Amino acid sequence: MRVLIVVPALNEESGLPPLLTELRAVAERDRFSAEIVVIDDASTDRTAEVAREHGARVVSLCRNLGIGGAVQTGLRLALREGFDCAVQMDGDGQHPPGELRKLLAVIDTPAAPDIVVGSRYLHGEGFQSTLPRRMGSGWLAWVLRLLTRQRTTDPTSGYRVYGRRALKLFNWSYPHDYPEPEALVLAKVAGLSVVEVPVVMKERQGGASSISILHAPYYMLKVTVAILLAYARSWHRIEPRTL
Amino acid sequence: MQQAEQYWLFAAFCCVVATLLLRLVLRERITIQSSLWVFFSLAALVVLAVVPDLTTRLAHAMGFALPSNFFFALATGALALLHVHTLVTLSRTEARSITLTQELGILREKLDRIDKENVHARSSMTAPPALPLPKKADAPHERT
Repeated sequence: MRVLIVVPALNEESGLPPLLTELRAVAERDRFSAEIVVIDDASTDRTAEVAREHGARVVSLCRNLGIGGAVQTGLRLALREGFDCAVQMDGDGQHPPGELRKLLAVIDTPAAPDIVVGSRYLHGEGFQSTLPRRMGSGWLAWVLRLLTRQRTTDPTSGYRVYGRRALKLFNWSYPHDYPEPEALVLAKVAGLSVVEVPVVMKERQGGASSISILHAPYYMLKVTVAILLAYARSWHRIEPRTL
Repeated sequence: MQQAEQYWLFAAFCCVVATLLLRLVLRERITIQSSLWVFFSLAALVVLAVVPDLTTRLAHAMGFALPSNFFFALATGALALLHVHTLVTLSRTEARSITLTQELGILREKLDRIDKENVHARSSMTAPPALPLPKKADAPHERT
């Protein structure tokens, strides 16, 4: 199975070296071949150089697109170059590479789902985030459950594996601002299957979160509206050629 | 008479705005397609300003007691439509800009990789045998 690991990064020159080194070690230990591509989202530090020095492919965006645009770039690359699946993981060290085999084990089966999401809340192990964030995540999970009639425990998780059908869908359309919960709705609307797998996550190793306490209520409102609008898209038929 | 003069002034103002827009179109600062709505709106305003009777008749037909109210509602509606049109254009441009940025990044990465492979292939090629050094006898005599 050909795997492309997509790491969106913005000013992550300190966080990338340990991540990339560990990814190589894990790939060697678990015996899967994977290419790593770092999507440099117009960083102002040495993110691109550091990633190249550690053997990763680097796609440098000439202007900042945000997490959604950066992830979609990686997914487009994966689809275009014929990869069987693409892994999305953060460049700030929250997603331990050691957990990758759990996600790949699910996608590498005959009845594989289209999207595998690593959930930190399914077994409640490892770093569980702060209380306000857990409350926010719980609210989004409830809205998603209401719309998709499927239980989702960690809708904001950015540790995911996308199969070929998901790559085709998100090559066509991928949400841009805080895209993870909205992408799940889009996938369900398009008839893709989504499965959650318990993973252990770590605390952010460097950099700062884009969602501050002051922005949190606005974020929640915005994502909730975006989820509802994404669901409303099911009234418009998604082109069959998309998948 | 006083009212008619005010209307003419307004019509003249609309013409000035239209002229400014036309200059921008001619200098290719804005496209004809995106400015067409504004031209149509200005033309409608000029007609309503120059023919006040038409405004009065239209206002009464639309249920407005005062022509000024009708004119105000019309202007607000036109501005709202123009705003929506601008939003659509901006959103479309932003979507295209995102796609172009992504494509540019992917192509640049591919080009860098091809360049690197070429350099690697060139450096790994066996170097041609060095030319033998000229013997002392063959060496050209130095001019004295």
